[in-house]
Amino acid sequence: MIVRVFRQVGRLRPAKTTTLLAVVFLLFASAVAANAQKRFSRTYPAGQDVRLQLMNKTGTVTVEGWNRQEVAISASMEAPAATIAPQNLSDTIVINLLKDNQGRETGNVNFVIRVPYNSKVDIETRIGNLQVSNVRSSLVRAHISSEGDIILTNIYAKAVSAENGIGDIFFDGEIQEGGGYRFASMKGTISLRIPFTSSFKLVATAPSSRNIALGAFDNANLNRVSDGRRVIGSFNGGAATVTVTNQRGGIGFYSR
Amino acid sequence: MNCEECKGLISVFIDNELAEPEAEQVSTHLSVCAECAAVCEDLSSILCSFDADEPIDAVPPNSQALWCRINNVIEGEIRSSEPQQPVEPERGRSWQLSFFQLSAAVLCVAVISSLLTIVAVRNYTQPPVDDFTTRSASTQTTIEKLLSRVGLIETPVESRMARLKEQQAAIDYWNSRVNARRAQWNRSTREAFDKNLSVIEESVQDYTKILQQDPDDELSGEMLDAVMTEKMNLLRDFADL
Repeated sequence: MIVRVFRQVGRLRPAKTTTLLAVVFLLFASAVAANAQKRFSRTYPAGQDVRLQLMNKTGTVTVEGWNRQEVAISASMEAPAATIAPQNLSDTIVINLLKDNQGRETGNVNFVIRVPYNSKVDIETRIGNLQVSNVRSSLVRAHISSEGDIILTNIYAKAVSAENGIGDIFFDGEIQEGGGYRFASMKGTISLRIPFTSSFKLVATAPSSRNIALGAFDNANLNRVSDGRRVIGSFNGGAATVTVTNQRGGIGFYSR
Repeated sequence: MNCEECKGLISVFIDNELAEPEAEQVSTHLSVCAECAAVCEDLSSILCSFDADEPIDAVPPNSQALWCRINNVIEGEIRSSEPQQPVEPERGRSWQLSFFQLSAAVLCVAVISSLLTIVAVRNYTQPPVDDFTTRSASTQTTIEKLLSRVGLIETPVESRMARLKEQQAAIDYWNSRVNARRAQWNRSTREAFDKNLSVIEESVQDYTKILQQDPDDELSGEMLDAVMTEKMNLLRDFADL
């Protein structure tokens, strides 16, 4: 095919030859690019109580709540492309790239997943950033084994857990009565933006930096103990439980 | 003579100690009054029985029962005169114990109750592992201090060391798995892993140093436990890659 094209090129005038070569080059380049960056896209109908469970190896995961009763998964894969085989098991959508690519070298997989607002979200990755926004459900869990930032925005959930190794954690959401909220990092900054009307019991520990900035939440019921390495106490009655641990970084509270 | 006067004189009348005219009056009344005559007869028969010389075959009120008792006594005497056969004690019914048996039983009860007490004390005073690793001597109760002194329960430091030993064993296992897989990782994975591990190692060293200076620093004990768990999780997660 390519030989025939070059024979044709030999019979054409120089201007036409240049144009044709450019077209061939573009086609070739786009073919290479397509080989390097693959895309995956799938949509699932969702029930009233849907749960997304994602285990990624490396790459960014973005989960957004939307006003549709369906889960839309799209992913871009760097070479070597990973196999993605989501499973829909009684309203739980499971994507496990570790299992699907056992013993295989894969490139980064970057997910963008849209879920109904009321979905439970449980996402995990070995390396990479995790973002969850606009979710109002009973569970939001984000876990990074090593490096990566966690950004949770507009979250209204009774159980929230965010853990990473090296990286920042940002939570912007509401604290529900009777809820449990856990944030833990080895090294980075943990920032929590919550309403001033929140009611919670707090155990915040920053043993290395001793940098625990309570901001507007500082009051007589929150006490610094162990030489300022920990703040313990309650705010507005202590209806929820907030546990924040940052081994080698600071912790900040902000009123929203 | 009326009945009352007659009854009052009956006893004297029977003994023939009454004067003639009075005796005649009593006799006359007895002949016309059946009630007084019956009393006179009863009294005279009683007196006759006491006065009699020969023994009287007196009939007991319940002669049958009396004969039964006599019979039993006689049979008992006959049995006791016969040579005694050794009789085996009925199993489960004999409560007669020798002094040594009794002592052994008391000792057994004491040992069992002591063991049960120790088990109960261990269970009720030893908090869950997560809590205990973070505890120090300052937060121990008096009972816990006493029991740890006599060696019945571990001290917080001993408990922490035991927990660290367990964690280290798990870390060694996962580390060997990681070393086997590490060659297949790409450069960015290796870098991310090494970077995280070094941050964890720094924390482990810091807390170990603090605890060497102050073994009762609860917070450092708790944090050391947390970073060791973190290290174990990192190794486990990367062993899959």
